[in-house]
Amino acid sequence: MEITRQRALLHNDADFARALARAAAGAIIFALPLMMTMEMWELGFYIDRFRLALFLALTVPLLFGLSYFSGFEETFSWQDDLTDALAAFAVGFIVSALMLGLLGIITPDQPFTQIVGKIALQSVPASIGAMLARKQLGQDDNPRQEQRQRSSYAGELFLMMAGALFVGFNVAPTEEMVLIAYKMTPWHTLALACLSVAMLHVFVYQLGFQGQENAGNLGFRSLFMQFTLAGYGIALLIGTYLLWTFERTVGLSAMEMVTVIVVLGFPCTLGAATARLIV
Amino acid sequence: MAIADHRDDEEGQDQDRESSAALSWLARAMSLLGLCLFLGAVGVLGYEGLFRSGGDPVIRARVETVAAMGGQWHARITAFNTGGTTGAQVTVEGILMRDGQMVERSYTVFDYVPAGSEQDGGLFFTRDPGQYELRLRVLGYAEP
Repeated sequence: MEITRQRALLHNDADFARALARAAAGAIIFALPLMMTMEMWELGFYIDRFRLALFLALTVPLLFGLSYFSGFEETFSWQDDLTDALAAFAVGFIVSALMLGLLGIITPDQPFTQIVGKIALQSVPASIGAMLARKQLGQDDNPRQEQRQRSSYAGELFLMMAGALFVGFNVAPTEEMVLIAYKMTPWHTLALACLSVAMLHVFVYQLGFQGQENAGNLGFRSLFMQFTLAGYGIALLIGTYLLWTFERTVGLSAMEMVTVIVVLGFPCTLGAATARLIV
Repeated sequence: MAIADHRDDEEGQDQDRESSAALSWLARAMSLLGLCLFLGAVGVLGYEGLFRSGGDPVIRARVETVAAMGGQWHARITAFNTGGTTGAQVTVEGILMRDGQMVERSYTVFDYVPAGSEQDGGLFFTRDPGQYELRLRVLGYAEP
């Protein structure tokens, strides 16, 4: 009976309209900090076009994955997940365009590609927000279904990656990332890296990733290797990718680059650690 | 109880088969719109990346209007970038010249002059620029 009702959501106009409204609210809530960040508007026109296009192209597979785990609709087939992902992208894009227009960031006299760049960059967090809206704003309809999907190891790593990307994205465009790196000594960096790993492990241990039954069987070492270190590796990779996309690493020495990656790795780790709560 | 559950399951399967055939038109429309927006945005950015971007910023400046304002003279200027990349902290200098001599100088800094776009600004002078030769010069830029 439950499954029938959820299945019908994507196939019933009124229910889908309600889900869309919720998605739009989620897009605004999750993307508002970035819509009101100056660096995001500037990156919209000076960021390398290929890097922005690649970033945008990776968004739809990410949305697809998020839809599989917890979209703004319960989905059961890959066609439904794809519909879900594209609808979330549409909501994110439209909400970004409307909000940027309302805030006076984009105006009709700007060159077309500049407008597209600003909206496209903003639509990434907005469409992720639209996708997360169901989990955050709606009731948790079917926890059993989600748990089953999430209990695979690859699924856990994907969720960590999505969480790292989402939280990391919220600070990665700012100039403060590089500025903080300039202020830190190698000892600060080492301490921050240790704190990141420790924090991630506490979350992994507390939340019992992989479902209770398996987490109970894993010893400290294998839990640490399989989840904590893997999660920190993912966080650092996502951080590096974001810095590359936003061209924050140009001209930095190797030491400074490592420092700024560890700095951004901290919010990314936070995202990876709390992905289960957010996603 | 078990019987009721079983019956519900059967109904669910029946409805599943029906509904997968008929996706809500709103869901279809939104996902189609999403696909168009996605392909459009990636297409525009890809096209821009292939054919329009790269190279250096080519930035020049022109005088738009000159007007007296509050005891000084205000020259509105426009900086425009015809190059392929954005210039940051673009500094534009205006000099009032008479007989090859500099009489007065002022300057302004534009935070950004994006590729292919124009940015407006103004220079203030204590003398009427109309009485002199007003020369604009773009001094330099930083990469963003």
